[in-house]
Amino acid sequence: MSRALANRLTPYMFMAPAAVIMAMALLYPLMYMIWGSFRDWNPSQTIGEAEFVGLNNYITLWNDPNFHESLGVTLRFAFFVVGFEMLIGVGLALLLDRNIRGMSVLRTLFILPMMIAPVVVGLMWRYMYHPTVGTFNRFLDDLGLPKVDWLGQHALGSIIIADIWQWTPFIFILSLAALQSLPRSALEAARIDGATAWQQIIYVKLPLMMPVLIVTCLLRLIDAFKVLEVILVMTEGGPGLSTEILALRISRTATEFRELGVAAAMSNYLLLLLLAFTVAMFAVTSLQEKRAARIRAAVEEDE
Amino acid sequence: MSAKYEKQNPAFYVLIAILVFMSIGPVMLMFINSFKLDVDIISGTSGLLFLPTIQNYEKALCDVLWYEPEHVDFCSLKFGGAFINSLIIALISTFLTLVIGCMAAYALVRFRFMGRDTASLTTLMVRMVPPAVLLVPVFGLWNNEFCLDKEGLIGGLIRDTFGGRGDVCLAGTHSGIILIYVAMNLPFVIWILQSFIVQVPRSLEEAARVDGAGPFQVFFKVVLPLIKPGLAAAAIFTFRIAWNEYLLASALSDRNTKTVPILIVNNMSEFNVEWGVIMATGMLLAIPPIIFTLFASRQIITGMTAGAVKG
Amino acid sequence: MKTYLKSGAVGLAMATMLAGTALAGSHGEGPYAEFAGTTLIVNFPAHPHYDAVMRILPEFTKETGIEVEVDQLPYLKMRERQTLELAQDEGEYDLIAYVVFSKADYVYADQLENLAKYFMNPKLSDPAYDSADLIDGYVYNIGFAGGDRGYLAGSTGSLFGLPYGSETSVLGYRKDIFEKHGLEVPETYDELLALACQIPELEPGMGGLASRAASGHHAAHAFLLHLNPLGGAIFDDNWEPVVNNAEGVAAAQALKTIVDCGPEGAVSFGFGEALGSFLNGDTAMFLDTTIVAGQVDNPEKSKVVGNVGWALHPMGTERASQTGGFGIGIPANAENKDAAFLLMQWLTSKKGDKLVALAGGNPSRFSTHADAEVNAKFPHMATFGEALKYADPDWRPIIPVWGKINADLGTTLSKVLTEGLDIQEALDGVAERSRTVMDEAGYYTWN
Repeated sequence: MSRALANRLTPYMFMAPAAVIMAMALLYPLMYMIWGSFRDWNPSQTIGEAEFVGLNNYITLWNDPNFHESLGVTLRFAFFVVGFEMLIGVGLALLLDRNIRGMSVLRTLFILPMMIAPVVVGLMWRYMYHPTVGTFNRFLDDLGLPKVDWLGQHALGSIIIADIWQWTPFIFILSLAALQSLPRSALEAARIDGATAWQQIIYVKLPLMMPVLIVTCLLRLIDAFKVLEVILVMTEGGPGLSTEILALRISRTATEFRELGVAAAMSNYLLLLLLAFTVAMFAVTSLQEKRAARIRAAVEEDE
Repeated sequence: MSAKYEKQNPAFYVLIAILVFMSIGPVMLMFINSFKLDVDIISGTSGLLFLPTIQNYEKALCDVLWYEPEHVDFCSLKFGGAFINSLIIALISTFLTLVIGCMAAYALVRFRFMGRDTASLTTLMVRMVPPAVLLVPVFGLWNNEFCLDKEGLIGGLIRDTFGGRGDVCLAGTHSGIILIYVAMNLPFVIWILQSFIVQVPRSLEEAARVDGAGPFQVFFKVVLPLIKPGLAAAAIFTFRIAWNEYLLASALSDRNTKTVPILIVNNMSEFNVEWGVIMATGMLLAIPPIIFTLFASRQIITGMTAGAVKG
Repeated sequence: MKTYLKSGAVGLAMATMLAGTALAGSHGEGPYAEFAGTTLIVNFPAHPHYDAVMRILPEFTKETGIEVEVDQLPYLKMRERQTLELAQDEGEYDLIAYVVFSKADYVYADQLENLAKYFMNPKLSDPAYDSADLIDGYVYNIGFAGGDRGYLAGSTGSLFGLPYGSETSVLGYRKDIFEKHGLEVPETYDELLALACQIPELEPGMGGLASRAASGHHAAHAFLLHLNPLGGAIFDDNWEPVVNNAEGVAAAQALKTIVDCGPEGAVSFGFGEALGSFLNGDTAMFLDTTIVAGQVDNPEKSKVVGNVGWALHPMGTERASQTGGFGIGIPANAENKDAAFLLMQWLTSKKGDKLVALAGGNPSRFSTHADAEVNAKFPHMATFGEALKYADPDWRPIIPVWGKINADLGTTLSKVLTEGLDIQEALDGVAERSRTVMDEAGYYTWN
């Protein structure tokens, strides 16, 4: 009897520490934030002292052109970053999917940028982008070309390049892994049927890789909304609001403008946005998985 | 592995050389610049023609050096202290995340129980929460709510032993930062480890159970050793986040618990951009991740793939 | 404790000055005896003046037996930290340095000690302090609250802090470049703006005037620098925003001209980059705080050592240079307030002020600016002393909501500089939003 009870309790005992910690340090804070977003709250008050203002913070933000701009910057940043990284990453994977000497060394070198602290990445690029002493402008100068105002006129483009540098390897590695785990039989079959390299890629490789690619894309997209330190160090959101992504604006609103309530409301908007993305991507993933299973089955039947 | 390598077209090797240069070039640049004086960095005597100096490192590490470098006026950076804080926070939070995370992952994979689906879904959902979103609530809670009254039993005891003033709050302590890092990393670790635990053959566990082992013994003696590669991957990822994170640490730490990323951002003070010293501190911060990458790239790649493949 | 005083002169000066008092400290008598062994925790910004302070603090400890532990942070970070610390029942810091515009917040929230009770206490107050010698513009700007408009001098105010590391604006220029082309040092804004755009033509690749322009605080600061001399203001006497009047537009236009004719990448310059470009010889002029003088002559940082001359902030319709920098005050929730006052008094005393000036800081006393020894080491000190006469305490409104308006102003101006937003339209927007902020804060209650 007690043994049965113990058995039934076992999973809960395994779960308990994780559940307690996540409840205390993730879920409760999220609730607390939602509660705080209805208040006019500054950092020197406790939440109880802050005045309840209803939906005011949300309405203010909804009508705030700066918030719109920041949201636009965030979406543009995420879109371009994920787009280019997918394109370059998958392209390189298809290109480098060969049996060559030293591939593992190569992969090691490629993942280096991802492992380094965003703060450090930011400072490296800030140095390289520096208008006069930076590497890029010196290089352009040596070639006799006009200098580019990287972090001034082209700030958004510049931070996108830095992010592509850091995260393309992520997509490259995952796509390469996906490519190398494709059923050899399917590829052989295609080759025997006389498919050109392009046809193999478009009709066999890409469709079979699709489930992994979509998950990868989803992961990068979510991560693109988390980027903050690199931009903070490189531009602090400037010039103007041209690189002030939402995460940065939340942190500025909380610390510089001292409006915790508004920052909380903004955090909630960001969460809703991410939630929508996540749900949409999940839906697509499950659909794709079914389709891929069908293709796989069909290919295997062909043999 | 087969020793048969395909011969490739030279253009292919050129492409690879360019890629390698692009991915490690900036790091090398930082490495080289960290050995230059500011004047050399700014004046653009570019390339390798300069007199290397360890002044920047001496300046960064002035609080832990056994001698007093002559060019250092006063020691303002206190990099050594921050490095120790970073180590404490990153190591402890990695350890805790792993232990707690793999227990939870095991439960989610191996047991059917009420609330399993909810737990699994919650884990997936909270993965998407950006640290910036946690900034406001964590700042408020850690400073005002998660506190012990200094007149109370435990609070009083802490104040008597460790000194300090005011109520005992999580903010400004190592534990406070560790707690949020563990919570932030758990969903990811649970996610990754699930895919490794699934691969452990049930028959092994059954066998152990028949031999009279309890569920915890089965877990620690049978399952854990088998998922070592997964643990290594998860450990590296957790460590990487805890070691590199800036935003939450900067909101929660005080002068005694500052971590290295905070110190670096602070040191980019607007009055005096000392590129040399900044690059040196950046290099020091990057060393542990670089070491991991060089020695455990296989685990990192396994972990990344496992994390992505399991939707 | 790693203090290396590079100049023998400083060491010597210190030794002679300390000889008398050091004895008193080592015995069990004197004002400091009661506090010997106390450790003060102070919060200072990472700023050249406070770097100089770090060099002289060991002398304080030697003389008084009071240990000082410094938490040095970048000044915006420092303010965030203080917001948190000062709100607690018991704070960690015994003495803080605060940015001028924090004065309003802290005093309004009752977080700074009124200094009256310390200056009244015969055990703490040094009779030789000579408060009349403190530069009054700075005292009213930084330490005084409750007077006219809440932040200016006036009969109803009192003292909450002392200026320390305060600064005004001066024009630095490249003597070699000016001589080479036979240029005159600009006296007025018209001359300044003409020169700023003439230099890039005379010296290809060189910018006219290095100015901060980066989004936020930097752009706002650069704009304010020109606003008062050109006769503008943020608010009129009834707190109505007038930043969008003709003078305001002229100031923004001046900023735009300067940035357009400035060095490569000027739109994204923060203070550090602007200064860096001047130090690197990429720019012929630099109009900003007095604090940079130390670095200009440091061959480790600067390639223009010996080539820089200093002049007063040029005149528009009037001569008005900025007032900024830091003050020091005692938090209301501090633990060792009396000892903190002693440190504060020591730092701002004639002796401390001279020491910090010789170590490269910004003196806050008239006597230090006139001191022969200081002038011998830093010849520009005389010009700086002259500039102080025009330091304008109403340079920017020091009111609790200023932070918000400042941020908006800075972001909007940055858009003018980078995205070509129309100046009038931009300032109209700032004025409108400022009015809403001011209205919410209750500034129009009596209208």
